[in-house]
Amino acid sequence: MWYKSLERLANLSKLFRVNRREFLMVAIPLYAAGPLETFSREEARIVEALCDQVIPADDSPGAKQAGVLYYIDRQLAGPLQRFQPAYHEGLSRLRDACHDRTGRDFPDLPFPEQTKFLEDMETGHEERLISFWRMVIDHTMQGFYGSPAHGGNQNEVSWDMLGIRDVMEGHSH
Amino acid sequence: MDVVVVGAGAAGGIVAEQLALGGLRVVLLERGRWQKFSETRHDELRSQRTTVLGNAFGPDDEHYVRLAQMADGSFQKVLPSEGAYNNIAACVGGGTFSYGAMAWRYMERDFRMRSVYGAPEGSTLEDWPISYQDLEPFYTQAEWEIGVSGKAGANPFESPRQKPYPMPPLPFNREASVLAAAAKRIGLHAFPIPMAINSVPYQGRPACIACPHCVGFACEVNAKNSTAVTTIPRAIATKLCELRTGCVASRIVMNAGGQASGVEYFQDDKLYEQPCRVVVVSCSATESPRLLFNSATKLFPQGLGNNNGWVGRNLQGHAYSGALGIFEKDLFDGLGPAARVACCDFNHGLPDGLKGGAMLANEFICLPYLYARTVPPQVPRWGIRHKRFVRENYKRTVGVKGPVQEMPVFECRVELAPDLKDHWGIPSLRISGHRHPHDVEVGKFIAAKAEEWLKEAGAITTWKSVPGRGVSGGQHQAGTCRMGSDPKTSVVDRNCRIHDLDNVYVVDGSVHVNNGGFNPSLTIQAIAYWASAHMVKDMRGG
Repeated sequence: MWYKSLERLANLSKLFRVNRREFLMVAIPLYAAGPLETFSREEARIVEALCDQVIPADDSPGAKQAGVLYYIDRQLAGPLQRFQPAYHEGLSRLRDACHDRTGRDFPDLPFPEQTKFLEDMETGHEERLISFWRMVIDHTMQGFYGSPAHGGNQNEVSWDMLGIRDVMEGHSH
Repeated sequence: MDVVVVGAGAAGGIVAEQLALGGLRVVLLERGRWQKFSETRHDELRSQRTTVLGNAFGPDDEHYVRLAQMADGSFQKVLPSEGAYNNIAACVGGGTFSYGAMAWRYMERDFRMRSVYGAPEGSTLEDWPISYQDLEPFYTQAEWEIGVSGKAGANPFESPRQKPYPMPPLPFNREASVLAAAAKRIGLHAFPIPMAINSVPYQGRPACIACPHCVGFACEVNAKNSTAVTTIPRAIATKLCELRTGCVASRIVMNAGGQASGVEYFQDDKLYEQPCRVVVVSCSATESPRLLFNSATKLFPQGLGNNNGWVGRNLQGHAYSGALGIFEKDLFDGLGPAARVACCDFNHGLPDGLKGGAMLANEFICLPYLYARTVPPQVPRWGIRHKRFVRENYKRTVGVKGPVQEMPVFECRVELAPDLKDHWGIPSLRISGHRHPHDVEVGKFIAAKAEEWLKEAGAITTWKSVPGRGVSGGQHQAGTCRMGSDPKTSVVDRNCRIHDLDNVYVVDGSVHVNNGGFNPSLTIQAIAYWASAHMVKDMRGG
């Protein structure tokens, strides 16, 4: 699994004299920016921004650092393949709705404006957008809190945040 | 061949062993395969509880499909990994390979619910044709042969037992200790949950290592007592039982005289027929009726055992209700299976004419994804406030809930779906109906009691959960081939034989008349021992 290689990469942090977590927060997105299996570059930017709205970074890493985009991208090419059309359609619908409302691309909006846009969307009447957003929320939770084996929860950041890394690792997983 | 048993799960794994020990030659057919811990390991997203990336223990999304009724009454295709499919695992051991392993006996009153309470309007509630006393020796047999840890006499509401458990109970974890002390203060009778998990080495397998992954996972040390590690290996060791895996039964073959003469099945997409004298159907409360429907003949045009239209009816599960509470301090200690303490104060004798009830128990460890999806109603579903809630409360949250006994409803059913087939071209099922409104009333009562218990234990914030009216089934599915004395209103007799057939038995949760306020596996297994004893006597004696 390539997240294991990330472990090795993390050891490089010693060279740069920064702590391991800070190093990983910078290194993961760069390292993970490998080829995408499902999303176009443009779609991936929107998905990443959406995931980061679901679980933003604060004292601990958010969905972006956890590589949730890569979880969703990979699973849509595998067990979650049946949701692929819903993603392509939902993303295009969301892009258009955002353009209509703000005249800008969703990922280019400042973070609080993205939040506002999504909150308005949730209380609005565009049922198809609302169900798309609910699906993104669910998949983001899976990618962030689930096993790192599937491309998300890189470096077990969520288990670290919850203080259960030892428990989850204590027995082979 | 004497007997073909279809389904190597909780019941089929026992029937095959008991018949082989009784000197009969048995073929045990299983659509799944042997699974090892190393294949699935500890992956929350592919566990039996959270199947978002597929069913770790089958059936798989590529070969199976069903129709499920939606809220608006329409039917929609559903895959095995989706909740509405009402999946039960398909592997050697069936559901027991990855279950939570609570090993409950139903109570004396659970077998005569109609006499005790009367049926509410719209329910087919009935007494069983057998009593707790009839089944008691077989509960004991199941506890000793499968292996159950528990403390006899600790539950004052338990119906009389002849023998203690073969193993002491698993020790309390932190939250169970806190809950047990609180129970005492408010007059509840808390005790350690009986579990089909080794608390000490038993039958050559080790004791539980208290890992946090239990319910929904294979056990990495085989301390969880599935039929895959107990009765099935013993059946094979007799050399009279042959287990064939990857075998999907398509129909029971009937002769012109109206007797079963064999079972037809697919293995590697090829069709085979295994002749036999007796067929035992142990495929679960959804798949057993399906096999009976798909075996229709001129004599039995609606399917075997279905001339009166009762096959597939009265589908039940449990109306799980309860509460979650947040405590000031961390109660999480990471020790599995975590579900350790229960009380049976609310299984019967509820006020306001409420019928039946549920045992209450603390929850298995809630893994992170599931936790993130079960935050209280006032917490936003996403964003920084959601993340903070999860971070601050994951280790401080305790759940108490109970499997509310459901009132059987004739309209809750499985039947063949028109024009829908599985990978092998075998007609698939559709599921429909609504659970009885009475179940929701009991659920509200049980949830309030769970909340009271949590508050007494020190919970500072609590929230309740009570299910709606959607059709029930799931992993506790039962009731669809009811046992009864009257062939007009039941499918099998007290020995699990289909009324109007000489040599076809149904042995699994399908035969339950009602499903108790408890996890059903030990009762399914006790009935498997009961029916096997009858079959051996019948076949060897005759």
